[in-house]
Amino acid sequence: MEIEVLFFGVLAEFTGIRRKHYSGIQSYSDLMHRICDEFPGIDQFTFNVAVNRVLVTGNPLLKDGDELAVMPPFAGG
Amino acid sequence: MRLIKGPVTAGIISELIAKGGERKECGAHSLFLGQVRNDLSGSRHVRAIEYSAYEEMVIMEAEKISKTVQSEYDDVRALEIIHSKGVVNAGEISLVVLVSAGHTEQATGACAKIVGLVKEKLPIWKKEILEDEPSQPAEE
Repeated sequence: MEIEVLFFGVLAEFTGIRRKHYSGIQSYSDLMHRICDEFPGIDQFTFNVAVNRVLVTGNPLLKDGDELAVMPPFAGG
Repeated sequence: MRLIKGPVTAGIISELIAKGGERKECGAHSLFLGQVRNDLSGSRHVRAIEYSAYEEMVIMEAEKISKTVQSEYDDVRALEIIHSKGVVNAGEISLVVLVSAGHTEQATGACAKIVGLVKEKLPIWKKEILEDEPSQPAEE
């Protein structure tokens, strides 16, 4: 699968990027392992995940072309 | 819902209030202004906050907030939410909520509810910029 990953807030600062395209993804778990391998230490952060702009929990089913956002806790206002 | 670059100016707020006056069926407008505080961080004060947002999701979530509030407060006739992105200095406004309703209780109650939901539900983040720190380029 092709997945577009977006990073926000402190996670964008930590990774040094705001978005990255991942190819050959088998599953959500596979994608998160790829991200953790690429950015060691990212798992120290608390974050939420949205798929196609909808918050998800657990181990969501991804499909080709999905946009996955990795987001620290919200802090608007 | 609008995301605007930089602070919400007095001119923008004034336009909102004037627009509220066109709703002659309303007896109450409740206005909330969120201002950047110059909190002390260590030995230095916060000079500004840089906001970033997942803009497409902000718009979607704001629509949900609007529907939730209007179903709970059936006397609400209109609501406006404006949030800043990019750099907002201490003392400047970064969030405006304006609720127009037939009567006072619904306007004030709905306004408070929206402010809470904005902080809880909208994917917006802040980064403190302290005194003597340079501003980073605003995130788009």
